[in-house]
Amino acid sequence: MGGIVVILIKSLIIGAIVGFGVGAGAARMFHAPKSQSMGAFRTIGEMNACAGDRASHFSFGLGFFFNAWASAVGAGALTQDVDHRIIPNWSVAVLLRKGKTIEETMHNPFKMSIAGAIVGAIVVAFLSTTTASIPEGLRNVALEVLAPAADWLINMAMPVIFWLAALDAGKRSGFWGTIFGGLAHIIMGNAVPGVVLGILVGKGVDDSGWNNITKILMTAIIVLFILSAFFRGIDIELIESLNLTVPNWLQGLHNLINP
Amino acid sequence: MTDGQLSDAMYKKSFWFADWSFPIFVALLSSGIFAGTHMYYVYKVGAFNEVAIVALLEAGMQGSGYGAAAAFGASFLFARILEGGLVGVLDIGGSILTGVGIGIPALLLGAGIVLPLENFFVSLITGLLIGVVIGYVVIGIKKFTVGKANSTFGSDVMMGAGNSSGRFLGPLIIISAATASIPVGLGSLLGGAFFYLWNKPVAGGAILGAMAIGAFFPI
Repeated sequence: MGGIVVILIKSLIIGAIVGFGVGAGAARMFHAPKSQSMGAFRTIGEMNACAGDRASHFSFGLGFFFNAWASAVGAGALTQDVDHRIIPNWSVAVLLRKGKTIEETMHNPFKMSIAGAIVGAIVVAFLSTTTASIPEGLRNVALEVLAPAADWLINMAMPVIFWLAALDAGKRSGFWGTIFGGLAHIIMGNAVPGVVLGILVGKGVDDSGWNNITKILMTAIIVLFILSAFFRGIDIELIESLNLTVPNWLQGLHNLINP
Repeated sequence: MTDGQLSDAMYKKSFWFADWSFPIFVALLSSGIFAGTHMYYVYKVGAFNEVAIVALLEAGMQGSGYGAAAAFGASFLFARILEGGLVGVLDIGGSILTGVGIGIPALLLGAGIVLPLENFFVSLITGLLIGVVIGYVVIGIKKFTVGKANSTFGSDVMMGAGNSSGRFLGPLIIISAATASIPVGLGSLLGGAFFYLWNKPVAGGAILGAMAIGAFFPI
């Protein structure tokens, strides 16, 4: 019982500050780019689509609320929709009362942040406490099913999906994605980081050429790979796999860092 | 009061609209999101992200390494910060929810730093500081590099790949449930099938179905 109270209090705090930020950020989106905002383009589109109709905003949020609940109960993940859809739309629904225009409500960062804080606190507290009160046996079933699935996703499915996306995104991202992806699997044990960095470099150069930003990026990636390889002892492994003797200075350097 | 009537002075001075207050809003959001990941780390509920992305962090916590989660989150953070300053809308999904909520915790845990995730107050403060930095960097980019870097660094490609990885999780969960036991497998596939009919994510239905049957026939 004590555990639930702690979760409730923490969730209320977290929900309130998240909701405050999301509400203000969403309202500022209607004033971008003059006012720097935060949110998502799909959120603007969806909020405009509901067009200040209270019932539409509420039911749009409600659909995603049930999704979020299912995902929280199953895997403890509240989903991004809490921030993208539920808090913004329910805040507007709370603010829109008779005769209020969207300029006075949805576009007003002050009102949206207060409404967002209230909605956020309630939503997050509800999702967390209901999930935490599920018996442990049931949650173990969920975890036992989810853990192998997540493992396959990360080690097989995701590297392939990202790799194919890199190959489809153009010659440069495909080339660098393949080089860094393969190296990342050797050095870090998972190809996804490398493929993602390959896309970053490839598309960066596609869009703006070899300028300072892309050059710094490339250098940072190479340094990252060299350091990870060194700290994980991949250089020694490589030399030994080639049936060569490890030079004393290299062994000495490793001993120096990791005695 | 309509958009058109807001004066330029208001956009420069008002707390609710000006650039100088932006880092405060990002800091609060980021603080809450990072603390949400603390909740997940300690209580297994509360991470503000999709099942598939939280699963990246979970895999790290189970001992499969934090590399995937760290790189996925950190590169999103990088790309979205650049984009945020350029277009005036910081995408919170990529930057805060995935970058600060998954990527940075994975980096910290990978380096063996657990305090920010174990302690609620430290997690709030860590998130707050990260958010302030992100907010100032975005404003800095908005002010100084306008028009110089017109690239989103393939974040659309990564977003597309990230979304299709999410879709893979549904079938993978049903396969995993079917491997665990026959009743749980049947529950999982029914849950997934009905969620599909109701236009809800298959992964959610598959887990709930497995749990419902698992209540009567434990694995």
